[in-house]
Amino acid sequence: MLKKFCLALLLSSSAGISVAMADQNGVSPDNTEVSAVTDQTMFEFGSYGTVGATHASLNSADFALDAPMPTGAGRSGYLSPSNNTLIAAHVNATFTPDLTAIFQVISEYNANGNYRPEVEWANVKYAFTPDLDIKVGRFALPTFMDSENHDVGYSFVWVHTPFELYQQMPTMSVDGVNAIYHFSMGEAENTVKLIAGQNTTETAAGIVNSKNMRGIFDNLDFGQATFHLGYQTRDTSTQSELAGLNGVWVAASDLTAGLSYDPGSWFFKSEWLQDRTQYKTNAMYASVGYRIDRFTPYLMHSQSSAASAYDNALPYLNMAQKSNSVGVRWDFMKNFDLKMQYLHITLGNNSTGYLVNIPDNVSLSGKTFHVISAVVDFVF
Amino acid sequence: MLKCNLIRRALALLALVFVNAAYADVVVIVSAKSPITSLSADQVSKIFLGKSSTFPNHKPAYPIDQQLGSPVRDEFYEKVVHKDASQLAAYWAKIIFTGEGRPPKLIVGDKAVVKTIADNPDAIGYIDSSALNHSVKAVLVP
Repeated sequence: MLKKFCLALLLSSSAGISVAMADQNGVSPDNTEVSAVTDQTMFEFGSYGTVGATHASLNSADFALDAPMPTGAGRSGYLSPSNNTLIAAHVNATFTPDLTAIFQVISEYNANGNYRPEVEWANVKYAFTPDLDIKVGRFALPTFMDSENHDVGYSFVWVHTPFELYQQMPTMSVDGVNAIYHFSMGEAENTVKLIAGQNTTETAAGIVNSKNMRGIFDNLDFGQATFHLGYQTRDTSTQSELAGLNGVWVAASDLTAGLSYDPGSWFFKSEWLQDRTQYKTNAMYASVGYRIDRFTPYLMHSQSSAASAYDNALPYLNMAQKSNSVGVRWDFMKNFDLKMQYLHITLGNNSTGYLVNIPDNVSLSGKTFHVISAVVDFVF
Repeated sequence: MLKCNLIRRALALLALVFVNAAYADVVVIVSAKSPITSLSADQVSKIFLGKSSTFPNHKPAYPIDQQLGSPVRDEFYEKVVHKDASQLAAYWAKIIFTGEGRPPKLIVGDKAVVKTIADNPDAIGYIDSSALNHSVKAVLVP
């Protein structure tokens, strides 16, 4: 339904088409005519993507970056392109200053082991006032500070978002309603997002269904600092023959907090999450980087705890791990970056971490290994 | 007497150099018709990054950008927003591809920016201070 609607949008008018990123980059013709400051192009097209390769020092399992990926680097191959390679096409539509829509399709390695394109975002936004927007459709679940742009490598410094944290919440989007309220508090700008809806995500471990999703997320910008707080609840079920999960509905809640400070020449960023089902899991990361001309070297520490059981719940698949990474982003030309990263991972006791494609008879408890990645990100 | 004259001339020359240097600076402008008289770098930064859609008096604010790579644009973003061109492109990649907003409208050249802003009390832009005239007013000299 969403797909049909958005295709209709695309085809319905040939008026005012431009490239989203090109506008920002000043490709518009040199005209000195006075034009109204509120004029907007109706359709803006854009694209982003990443091409890269990953090596993992493993031969008994695969390192995969996202929950849906069935294979990665390690057991399946010395080098894997699938972890970091994706391309997306995006259209922004502005029907009136108050009524806008976005549609985005992404092709990345998925649970079925192919690159079949999927609808990432498709929503219509109406601004009731300049400070109150309502979105309806498929939109990002803003659990983390970079949830909404986690696939847009060009938008952050690292090769990828810290997966010990981000994999705690494999559900990245919601089909539903999102209310966004913006207000100033003295020098600070505050944005509150309320969401309600449902989601189905295919992961390598099985199909994760979420219903009755409710969440409140707050973003406060104060000077060079940004604070993020979130709380969400949902009923979730995982259907997986492999993991012996039979799709029983479980109540889940997540509390998240984040802080970023970026005065320009350097940055600090840290986020934390506590996930509660019958089990409790904590995860966090902290990262610093320094900008030297077109180079941004960075360090990151990231970790997730073992899931501790409440009461007499059964033992659970343990995914505890810690990682330290060092990397660099090089903005080598307009709209492109090159990033390289060395990642050192230590699995917790009895943990398989976020590794996939593990044979039955292999124990990975306490194992350490490294992952080396090189990627090029681009936006148009 | 001669020495005195020389020093005076040298000082005058020095003053001229400083004045010239000052005239090569970026200034943030609004229409002469706008009630806004001054803004802080933080307030201007928020408007140009789309974090705020209004002036401090709660009236709508429409920012106007200059061409990427132009000296006036680089100077503005370095001094006021503290971001270079690639940091800014990365910032807007996040905003655009999540549908959260769009970058400021682009108008090429100081003259065209002055003309547009003079006619629009809600607009805000930046120009080289040498292009200032009576139709607009500087609200921030970073």
